[in-house]
Amino acid sequence: MFRFLLRRLLVAIPTLFLVITAAFFMMRAAPGSPFEMSRKLPPEILAHVEAKFGMNRPLGVQYVSYLAGVAHGDFGPSLKYQDKSVLEIVREGFPTSLTIGLSALILASLVGLTLGVLAALRQNHSLDYSVMGIAILGVCIPSFVAAPLLRQVFASNLGWVPTGGLNGPISLVLPVVVLALPQIAIISRLTRAGMIEVLHSNYIRTARAKGLSEPTVVFRHALRAAIVPLVSYLGPACAGLITGSLVVEKIFNLPGLGKSFVLGALQRDYTLVMGVLILYASLIIALNLAGDMLLAVLDPRVRLS
Amino acid sequence: MRKALGLLLAVGLLAGLSACGPQKAIRAPCPHGSVCLEYGNGSEPVSLDPPKTTGTWEDRVMGEMLIGLTQNDPEGRPVPGMATSWETSPDGKTWTFHLRHALWSDGVPVTANDFVFGLRRLMDPTTASQYAYLLFFIKNAEPVNAGKLPLTALGARAIDDHTLELTLEHPAPYLLEIAKHQTMYPLPEHAVKKWGDRWTDPGHYVANGPYKLVSWRLGDRITLEKNPLYWDAKSVCIDQINLYPTIDAIAAERRVRRGELDLNTDIESNRVAYLKRPDQMPGYVHTHTYLGVSYLVFNTQVPALADRRVRLALDMSVDRDFITGKLLRAGETPAYVFVPPGTANYQPIIPPIWTTWPLARRQAAARALLAQAGYGPGHPLKIEYKHSNSPASMLVAPALQADWKAIGVVTTLAEEEGQIAYQDLRVRNFEVGSASWIADYNDATSFLGLQQSQTGAQNYGDYKNPVFDALLAKADNEPDAKTRAAYLARAEEIMLGDATVAPISFFVNKALVNPRITGWVDNLTDWHRVQYLCVKGAR
Amino acid sequence: MSVLAPNLRRDSRTMEQAAAKGRSLWDDARRRLFRNRAAVASMILLGLFLLAAIVGPYLTPDHYDTINKNDVWDPPLTNGHLLGTDSLGRDLLARLLVGLRVSLAIGVVATAVSLVIGVTWGATAGFLGGAVDELMMRFVDVLYTLPFIFFVILLMVTFGRHFLLIFLAIGCVEWLTMSRIVRGQTLSLKQKEFVEAARASGLSTRAIIGRHIVPNLLGPVVVYATLTIPGVILLESFLSFLGMGVQEPLTSLGTLISNGAEEMDLAPWLLIFPSLVMVLTLMAFNFIGDGLRDAIDPKDR
Repeated sequence: MFRFLLRRLLVAIPTLFLVITAAFFMMRAAPGSPFEMSRKLPPEILAHVEAKFGMNRPLGVQYVSYLAGVAHGDFGPSLKYQDKSVLEIVREGFPTSLTIGLSALILASLVGLTLGVLAALRQNHSLDYSVMGIAILGVCIPSFVAAPLLRQVFASNLGWVPTGGLNGPISLVLPVVVLALPQIAIISRLTRAGMIEVLHSNYIRTARAKGLSEPTVVFRHALRAAIVPLVSYLGPACAGLITGSLVVEKIFNLPGLGKSFVLGALQRDYTLVMGVLILYASLIIALNLAGDMLLAVLDPRVRLS
Repeated sequence: MRKALGLLLAVGLLAGLSACGPQKAIRAPCPHGSVCLEYGNGSEPVSLDPPKTTGTWEDRVMGEMLIGLTQNDPEGRPVPGMATSWETSPDGKTWTFHLRHALWSDGVPVTANDFVFGLRRLMDPTTASQYAYLLFFIKNAEPVNAGKLPLTALGARAIDDHTLELTLEHPAPYLLEIAKHQTMYPLPEHAVKKWGDRWTDPGHYVANGPYKLVSWRLGDRITLEKNPLYWDAKSVCIDQINLYPTIDAIAAERRVRRGELDLNTDIESNRVAYLKRPDQMPGYVHTHTYLGVSYLVFNTQVPALADRRVRLALDMSVDRDFITGKLLRAGETPAYVFVPPGTANYQPIIPPIWTTWPLARRQAAARALLAQAGYGPGHPLKIEYKHSNSPASMLVAPALQADWKAIGVVTTLAEEEGQIAYQDLRVRNFEVGSASWIADYNDATSFLGLQQSQTGAQNYGDYKNPVFDALLAKADNEPDAKTRAAYLARAEEIMLGDATVAPISFFVNKALVNPRITGWVDNLTDWHRVQYLCVKGAR
Repeated sequence: MSVLAPNLRRDSRTMEQAAAKGRSLWDDARRRLFRNRAAVASMILLGLFLLAAIVGPYLTPDHYDTINKNDVWDPPLTNGHLLGTDSLGRDLLARLLVGLRVSLAIGVVATAVSLVIGVTWGATAGFLGGAVDELMMRFVDVLYTLPFIFFVILLMVTFGRHFLLIFLAIGCVEWLTMSRIVRGQTLSLKQKEFVEAARASGLSTRAIIGRHIVPNLLGPVVVYATLTIPGVILLESFLSFLGMGVQEPLTSLGTLISNGAEEMDLAPWLLIFPSLVMVLTLMAFNFIGDGLRDAIDPKDR
């Protein structure tokens, strides 16, 4: 187990390093200096401004000092929002993004699992078909179609939730639901397929033959095995949630990191964009790692492969 | 698939059913007994440090906290602010302002020195303020800003704690207008010295205006609360303001409609007519003539566009009636001259004769001009049009492309985020660009000054005509208002004749304001300070 | 988006077995596919959409960028506009057809890019095996954990929104899963007798990969490609929604939908029709993909 973890960790660290490096040089390769804000600055002034952002040194030195800064949690000042540092912006936006992401993950897992199990137990019955129909819809209706429709009904017409902005947990209900929908669809499909496979397997047949009650068979034995594909899906699910959060935060005007990233990218706020990128990359890598660990606990075969 | 349709139908049905009787709006928490204003501010300030800002959305925040020599009255006209009285020397080049006894929000007195400090900080080359050129009429401002003279050479001096003297390069009849502008705010020297660039942090910021900074969370809101040390605090009705960066005006419209916001400072132009319908929210819609012009600018450094005939052809063939009447249609008017009607001390000039022709004739003339310049069916003119991604620009760009296609020009559209688009204009990374200008102060020079050769970056097309420059310089030194206006009008005629810019439309300012908010006066400058606003039944 | 990847990764195992059963399987598979009503209906619908996207734009009276100065925001069935017009007076039908064409083109071309990279990479790794395989697949593992959408966004904003760039960027994101599937297939295929025989007869490695391995990978690759296309279409529409899609006046389904969503109270048809076409297209691809998979590997039924 320890060696397995160590090996995974040894992949994770270079990955993160790769992300930072790629992002750094991509930003520097981008056309246009961030300081071409105004009329041509006199050379001595430009030097002053560049020195302020540490951009007067050779690229290699800048890269090393950026890495050193990142290691200390210092991502530099935001090029665009001059009153704030990247770290402050990330700190302000991250809790919101994390809250909606985690809530959506939990919601999607619970609902997806339930639907998947129900569908598997009633395979080829109308319940199964409805669940799979919903699953197909969930994948095929993009969040930016679902979100405006849901907002129109539940915010504008019924007034149960606000149409946008962040004022208490009630503001997060719609965003979380919209974010969870496609994941519910995928998770329910995965669970259904896993359950069906397990329910037809020999050891379940044995368990049934031993005279164990149906609930015991389903919940104690089948579900445990069926959960494995779900756990291995955790990493991609989080990537999907982060991607989705870009859209959802924009639609519902939530002060999250996803919105900062898109706006920062459009406005070429390079330091901000890199900070967010590094944070998200570490998050995804950490989640993958956690998923692998969980998988290793649930399914001993993984450790050996 | 049947299920898909079923679900769509169900959602539609639910929407129909739910159309009646929504719940009460969910608003930001407001301390018990306080009057709170939820204010849609249009965009996110890049900074709350005045010399680092250029936007109206930034001044809508800063201007609630900082007050200059003059300030806006409810109609956006200058009235005494920090200065209670002033005198001008006979040649108009020396102004003496007498300041009131007032305090910063931390209890430190506001002095004339805070004004001198603010001006020097603006002109300091290391601040790299984009707006410094606006005050180049102050003595030595230009060389100081270029780093050729020390900061102390600037024509601003504190005679004593409450007397400020400004020395000018030339008379500036619009000085009292500019004195309320964000470039001329006093800055708390004690706080800036103590905190450096981070003096704008909540907790560090000190204010001399009606409100002070409580918090600022990016993408969420800026919260201001009443400043009890403001000299006129007793007449301020609203206790707390939350300002939201409502980039998406349609989303903001939904929030105002639901009562989550009390007002938003913009409306999508093409939705104004719809919102004014009796079954929508007619009582909320405010529109008013605005001192602003949107125009096309031709980069004269691009070889094809160095030819006046080409520029003129592009200018003539734009169907402005369609753009203002069918696309924007919030009351914008077609623009054929650069200085908007209603500008003080000025009569709009007579536009060129072709502006009276019907579109077909203009298109024929444009084709002829292009042919003279060497372009035609076998060898079409190809240009790139750079524009911002704002909804209005996105609407106008394809219309321009179609208009130019009609005279045989092939146009590529290149959209950019708004501020990047302007940055591209400033560094001349464009061929034909979309630009607009809102008056900084109510005077024709606020518009014509843009096209002076020494303006630099914001003279996007690098227009340079010595005759034009000379006329503007003559106007600057002309004491007689009538003669001055005549010089400026002549200059505008020359500039339009050279066709380096093509005016497209004159703006209207638009706002969505809940009728329960009182004190909102529609006006030419679009300044509506919160200290004049109140909520019905609050006080 | 990688949302469709996991179930396929799981399925790649079963596909290996399916592909291993030999040629006669294809006839069975075809029969099974044509018995699947959802898949057949989807194929018909998609065929119609494809036809409409290819020839439709030549048949509409208006070009997609024709501005009708008197027909701004016309509801459907007025002034000869079957589906109405948009805020610039452009015919929605004409724009919808072009948008469908662009979205399908992006879907197909980007999938093709991912196919080429993924198949080459996976087949090479699987065939060569050993340390090379380990290294190549570790690289894929590393890329798997990257937040790719962020890199695509960075690419779009720093190097401009080029039609080609969208293809490339998306294609480069989508090849990872493909390479994994192909590698798994190759690993099992290369044990087979005919590969041994080819090797014994002195064929070069490259020839073996090209002539024997790749053709035998066709089944699972086709299934995965069919399911990648809707993913790509969704990804493009997602970029459009964030304001980084194709440049006006050209359009795509995603751009049409995101513009339509803005004006849904004023001109609902601008949201309804593009959304409908989009959802139907995505569903059709998914049904066909599922159908193909079931046809090749009937175990789950």
